Amino acid sequence: MRAGVAAVNAVEVRDLAFAYSDGTPALRGVSFAVAEGECVGIVGPNGAGKSTLLLHLNGVLPEAPDGSGAVHVFGAPITKENLYEVRRTVGLLFQDPDDQLLCPTVGEDVAFGPRQLGLGGPELGARVAAALARVGLAGFEARSAHHLSRGEKRRVCLAGLLACESRVLVLDEPTSELDPRGRRELKSLLASIPATKLIATHDLEMVVELCSRVVVLDRGQVVAAGETVALLGDEALMLAHGLERPHVLRHRHPHD
Amino acid sequence: MRHGFLDRHSRLQSPIHALPAWSKALATLAVVVSMAVASPSWWPVLVVAAVLLAAVTWQSRIPAGFLLRRLLLVEPVVVIVATLALWQPGGRTLFAMLVARSTLSLAALILFVNTTRFSEVLDLLRRCRVPSLLLTVLALMYRCVFVLVDEAERLQRARVSRSFSPSAARSWRWVAFQAGQLFVRSSERAERIYAAMCARGWRP
Amino acid sequence: MHIPDGFLSLQTAAAAAAVSAVTVGVCVRRLRRTLQPRQVPLLGLTATFVFVAQMLNFPVAGGTSGHLLGATLVAVLLGPAAAVLVITTVLVVQCLVFADGGLLALGANVLNMAVIGGLAGGGLHLLVRRFGSGLRGTVTAAAFASWCSVVLAATACAIQLALSGAAPARLVLPAMAGVHAVIGLGEAVITALVLVSIGTTRPELVGGVETPTSRRPALAPRGLLVVLALVALAVPFGSSLPDGLQWVVGQLGLEHRAVVTAGAPLADYLVPGLDSSLLATALAGLAGAGLMLGVSCLLGRLLVPGKRARAEG
Repeated sequence: MRAGVAAVNAVEVRDLAFAYSDGTPALRGVSFAVAEGECVGIVGPNGAGKSTLLLHLNGVLPEAPDGSGAVHVFGAPITKENLYEVRRTVGLLFQDPDDQLLCPTVGEDVAFGPRQLGLGGPELGARVAAALARVGLAGFEARSAHHLSRGEKRRVCLAGLLACESRVLVLDEPTSELDPRGRRELKSLLASIPATKLIATHDLEMVVELCSRVVVLDRGQVVAAGETVALLGDEALMLAHGLERPHVLRHRHPHD
Repeated sequence: MRHGFLDRHSRLQSPIHALPAWSKALATLAVVVSMAVASPSWWPVLVVAAVLLAAVTWQSRIPAGFLLRRLLLVEPVVVIVATLALWQPGGRTLFAMLVARSTLSLAALILFVNTTRFSEVLDLLRRCRVPSLLLTVLALMYRCVFVLVDEAERLQRARVSRSFSPSAARSWRWVAFQAGQLFVRSSERAERIYAAMCARGWRP
Repeated sequence: MHIPDGFLSLQTAAAAAAVSAVTVGVCVRRLRRTLQPRQVPLLGLTATFVFVAQMLNFPVAGGTSGHLLGATLVAVLLGPAAAVLVITTVLVVQCLVFADGGLLALGANVLNMAVIGGLAGGGLHLLVRRFGSGLRGTVTAAAFASWCSVVLAATACAIQLALSGAAPARLVLPAMAGVHAVIGLGEAVITALVLVSIGTTRPELVGGVETPTSRRPALAPRGLLVVLALVALAVPFGSSLPDGLQWVVGQLGLEHRAVVTAGAPLADYLVPGLDSSLLATALAGLAGAGLMLGVSCLLGRLLVPGKRARAEG
């Protein structure tokens, strides 16, 4: 229980339900909250609805905003009116970086967001350079976005989000299809970003390292939510929901 | 999305579905051709056709609501074009005829399409001596339609996600960019498909 | 522009189908000679791409949106013969899988959108591109050619409707041509934007799939296409159209049919004074084409920065 003034949660999802256009339910009443500055992992088997859930967090879904108020960002429900504001606040990193790279050069792509926020001229250039430096791609402004490696592309997309100074970062499988070095670099990069983070992933080792809390999703419902080590270390729970205990927790000494 | 994607009806089981594709194709063609030559004095034929189509719909287990919705989707176009006929002597009769003929032909085609699988259609075309290059391209196209629709949807969502204002969301430049990316991906996928086809023994 | 069934007379539909079949057959033969096997999947996927791209919404004020037809775009990317094949594939699948566009009218739809759209678009593009260079030249030529292809396809459609007695020629020709002159503008802009997008990320994709066997034979068919395209552009707007249609009507024995269906819509052609309105449309059409050429040059300049700008930027 918090003492004093109750802080507004960065993201709050209340009983979110969603079905695809052919009627198949994807989410059946999902509820959880993420406090500002927290890093929460969203785990579950394939088809659990993780990606669908993430698309609701910045208003991409439902396609026609229904004003049901199921998702709240910093206390305000997502409605048709504040849709664009929400997208500025909550930055979504898609699983496939190629889906997200819109511009021919790296510099232009990172500038895409801030330009919409009204930045221009030298200020824009500085913001882009700073964002690229944060992700370890300093000087890449003139490079062609489409000839980079997958890991580099993903970092360009992340730079694009950082350049908009999004308060909440939502990441869909950020380490998928990366080689071990790419994975390590991305993990340490994510650890260094102070924004509120929600990470949907199969990479349970990363969840243990980065996320203080975890939400387990299966068949469109939250089956468990709580401390990472406690939940991911529960072998029965993991196996029941198509996951397994991460190695880093298997070899923990009982006195750790 | 303009198209009713749901090819699912072609996989239903019914006496109509079980009929050979060539018979259904001939029947559809017969309906369409008779509609094309129908004149106002032929109205009994129209009524008979309507009754037959209703019977086939019932036997095929295709939901009547689905059929009606697909018909309604095209009706505006039909009505607009038919309206041009009104500026002629005898225009009103012609207007009614055009709408009736068009609707019945469309109903027949919808029934055909939803009771026949595309693979059967391709087989029929092959037997009609359609060139093999065209057949191969048709088969590949159909196979990849649903894949590309998914890709287009993901591109769209990513773009919408990065649009902070209505003007950015509506910008033609970015929609066209999406289309361009779709083509680039298609060509890359085509290379992979070529390799896969060769690996499975395809000879052009 | 998909014509549904029930509007075209049997004769018109059959004639259009015959012309389409022959032309598509010629294009297939040509492709079999010139196409590398590794490009066959590309044709299939381009057809899929066109199908999906036609569903993209290009919002226009007031909730309506424009859509891409794509025949010229494909002609620029893969060549005119491939464009005919690809668009034919799209139309066949749309008809036989999604019941979009009539079955009997398929021949006419293929003629209008695949054959006329692809060949005129491709031919005009190749002609105009000679006067430019690089991506800017391609984009300018493509914009102009795609506008023309849309207008020409619409005109052909209108002629088919008129010949079938479904609509009076004096109304449907200017209406279709006029409306599609505006729609064609959208097509030009979209085609240009998409080409810029492809040309800046993967320039090698903008070209053609046919391996040039030799320079000379390729020119002749293209030249013929261009001439045909220009003739086709002028004819519907020409004041001699009433006579031309009357001759066709007589040959096809449609006069009797016109009486049977409703009265004699084509008899309107014999009314004097009509020529002036068609003449006006003709002049408007040619003026529109000229204007479009200018607009295309402007588009080219806007969308493709010159070498100096690129070096600085």
